[in-house]
Amino acid sequence: MLIILTVLLLLLVALALIVLYWVRPGIRYSWMLAASGALVSWFSVLFWQLNLPLTFQLPPWEPASLFFESLSFTADRLTWPLALSISTLTLAVILTATARKNFPDPLPWAATLVLGGLGLLAVLADNPLTLLMAWSAIDLTELVTQLRSADGPQPSEKVVTAFATRLAGVGMLLWASMVSISAGTPMNFQDAPPQAGLYLLLAAGLRLGVLPLHLPYASEAAIRRGFGSALRLISAASSLILLARIPTASVISIFTPFLLLLAALAAIYGGWMWLRAPDELTARPFWLIGLASLAMASALRGNPVGAVAWSCALVLSGGALFLSSAHNVWLSRALWIGMWGITALPFSISATGWGSTMPSFWPVWPFLLLAQALLLAGYLRHAIRPTLRDNFETLDRAAQYVYPLGIGVLLGIMLLLGFGGWEGASRLGVWLLALLGVMLGGIASWLAPRLRILTPLRAHWVRPTASSWMDWLFRGLWGLYRLIGLLSNSFSKMLEGDGGFMWTLLFMVLFISLIIQGSPGP
Amino acid sequence: MSAPLLWIFIPAALALPALLISNGRILSIVGGSLALLLSLVALIVPIDQALQIGNFSLKIAPEIEILGRRLILTPADGSLLAIFYGLVAMWFYGAEVTRTAHRLVPLGLIIIALLVASIAVEPFLYAAILIEIAVLLAVPLLLPVNQAPGPGVMRFLIYQTMGMPFILFAGWLLTGVESSPSDLALAVQSATILGLGFAFLLAMFPLYVWLPMLAEEVSPYALGFLFWVLPTITIIFGMGFLDRYSWLRTSAGLSQVLSVGGLVMVVTGGLWSAFQRHLSRQMAYAVIAETGFSLLAFSLSPEKAVDAVFLLIIPRSLALLVWAMSLTQMKELAEPLRFSAVQGLARKHPVTTAGLILAHFSIAGFPLLAGFPVRLALWEGLASQSLGVAFWFLIGILGLLTGATRTLAVLVMAPQGTGWELQERWRPGILIGIGVLGLFLLGIFPQIFRPIMANLPGMFEHLGK
Repeated sequence: MLIILTVLLLLLVALALIVLYWVRPGIRYSWMLAASGALVSWFSVLFWQLNLPLTFQLPPWEPASLFFESLSFTADRLTWPLALSISTLTLAVILTATARKNFPDPLPWAATLVLGGLGLLAVLADNPLTLLMAWSAIDLTELVTQLRSADGPQPSEKVVTAFATRLAGVGMLLWASMVSISAGTPMNFQDAPPQAGLYLLLAAGLRLGVLPLHLPYASEAAIRRGFGSALRLISAASSLILLARIPTASVISIFTPFLLLLAALAAIYGGWMWLRAPDELTARPFWLIGLASLAMASALRGNPVGAVAWSCALVLSGGALFLSSAHNVWLSRALWIGMWGITALPFSISATGWGSTMPSFWPVWPFLLLAQALLLAGYLRHAIRPTLRDNFETLDRAAQYVYPLGIGVLLGIMLLLGFGGWEGASRLGVWLLALLGVMLGGIASWLAPRLRILTPLRAHWVRPTASSWMDWLFRGLWGLYRLIGLLSNSFSKMLEGDGGFMWTLLFMVLFISLIIQGSPGP
Repeated sequence: MSAPLLWIFIPAALALPALLISNGRILSIVGGSLALLLSLVALIVPIDQALQIGNFSLKIAPEIEILGRRLILTPADGSLLAIFYGLVAMWFYGAEVTRTAHRLVPLGLIIIALLVASIAVEPFLYAAILIEIAVLLAVPLLLPVNQAPGPGVMRFLIYQTMGMPFILFAGWLLTGVESSPSDLALAVQSATILGLGFAFLLAMFPLYVWLPMLAEEVSPYALGFLFWVLPTITIIFGMGFLDRYSWLRTSAGLSQVLSVGGLVMVVTGGLWSAFQRHLSRQMAYAVIAETGFSLLAFSLSPEKAVDAVFLLIIPRSLALLVWAMSLTQMKELAEPLRFSAVQGLARKHPVTTAGLILAHFSIAGFPLLAGFPVRLALWEGLASQSLGVAFWFLIGILGLLTGATRTLAVLVMAPQGTGWELQERWRPGILIGIGVLGLFLLGIFPQIFRPIMANLPGMFEHLGK
């Protein structure tokens, strides 16, 4: 019950903010209301830890003869850290909103709270049905909020395209369920058959843009820092939870090494672009690609705890960096803690990130380590180069107290999760690999200002759209679509034309003869 | 008081004075309230059982005899009547804002009465004639008096009318099969003729060409009503056949025929929808796919089939209602309803757009919406039989989703600098909003109508047992 109360609180506060916005647009206490809601829900999630596992089930769908599953949620020691990360991010977005130029603007806060609530539902989903319902809710929320800010035909079309891509991920999850059922096991997260495991990975990969590599968030730069960060990070976390839920036995397949290699290459691409991007907001999609690929690689090595570890680091470290909009020496130094989150060193939140429970495809290790090094070097560069940040001293007095709290709570929780509260806490991990990654990261950081190839690109050179081969692929698919469209239209015209009735009878006779041939008769 | 009198003759009789009411709003409210009242009576008062209210005792007799034929509504039919008239009430309440009340309410009442009679009539073969009369009455419902019928209307009439003789002929042959069950050739002939009759009535592949043609010519709201009511009743009529003839029900090939027929409709409806650039025609293709879903539901294992078929009724009606109402609103803004004419309308008419897209998504089976739970159950049932069939089902669904996504993209692609505004009439907007909420409610809690739906399989003696 605690689960649903926490989510309902977030949703109700969001509703109250929207109603207040319409009824009394100039009301002064809306931020206080948003912050109180986010804070209470954050405390609630924090204290779930004392009572784990928590479960909540909605009334079952009926008739029972038709439905295998019902909507249910579970907070356990694997999902709780991700739930805490999401609620911390939600709180941080509201707290740091005091430093934004558009303060006060209650609608993005309401949208952030809704996303936070839906994100919690997604990461706590106890079965695929619940997860895909939560995904769909997040997708619709994202669609509406994105369309609201998109201006012009092309940006609007891109929003719909991104929505369609995520829908493909939902479809893949459903297909995994069908494969599981056809193998005789209604799918759940405890025992998915091996045939379904890879489809689950593809579902997560499609939503994250890792498999195949694509950037679903093409209009990144247009989205604001606070709500935009919540949207990107929560959406990614809600997809990443699937990686933690895939049973280890289900990912063993002849395709696993191939997928691992693809994930590693995507991680390198993400890390490379992340390092070379001119600022952290332009680089945000590459951060998501890079960290999500590392999480996927963990899942492919049979390490769901590691997948959760990278996912938490993605939300918390990334959140701290992306929400930093005011420059101050101490805050910039504090962001170094964010870098600690992705080192995979002992007692860091990602300490379990390099673990494997089954023999992995060894040639991918150099790629994975290189990707981590690039991500580390990029993080350091973005943390110390405040390209897009305002001066902290220009903030008003209240904001000077509240804003650092927002950044601090993200970093604090990240440190805390390294030491306790979940399955991946207080671990040494594969410290040798982690050390190697950190050393490589150090070298990349040292080389970055010295090598021309590692210097930041101009913003317009960082193409937020797909690469040329993806363009080629999409053009090919579009051509195929048009061709089939032409054929189907010709067929329709033929049936609807003057001779249509005769054609219809002809097709009917053919159809009946085909069916009669195939059926055994009465 | 008898049940046929209450749910067949009274609505049909009240349709005549309804023709005289000229105020659309009053007509809509009166018609909707009458349908709602009939629904509530069906829900509360059991048929053929005495209901004691204080000193009053009320009993509704189940049958009535007319011209040597009997009309029988059993206690098990009560739930269906409640659902049916409840849904009709929703359509009637929405008729005024779509400016179709003058035709929809009176003719709708007669059509519903005839279709209820088709479920109740004994000998049941007369149902084909009653359905045919309903089809004939649908023509003035679809077209204003001063509008000449187009090719779509003509084909609708021809194809639906052709179904009737096939079914009557099949009924005659079936009596022969009953008397000599060992005559295999006669059984195959009668099953084929019966199948042809239903193929015409249900507009099965490739006999559905009239649906998109009709969609281009007539009012979307009246068409939506027809798209809901005719296939639903025809399917229940078909279930009656299966219930009555055990050799047909237990035939080894039946499930396969239904499965192939349903799949072809889902796949072709979905694919055509994906390439369609006319909004009304997209609704027609979605209806084709929807009939395919019903056939696929029939093809599931017997203990699931009846539940699945009935579970489709309410989401289908609600989605079509929202879709048709949104299309009617859009038709007032852009004519014809081609992509080129409606591009960018979402910015000024977000509620209408939301209704249109979410209804389309619901029929396509998007999670959270009313159509999803039953599509999921259907898909799981098919997957447990064959993954290949489940794959083709996926293709059909993908086609429908592609159509919906393309429509969405076109509607939101407004020129740069176009802001979001609410330029909609508030009453249709509110009705569409309520419909959309209903779609979400049914999508998350599909069991809310279960108490009423649970009795529906009782309509059949053998089917689903």
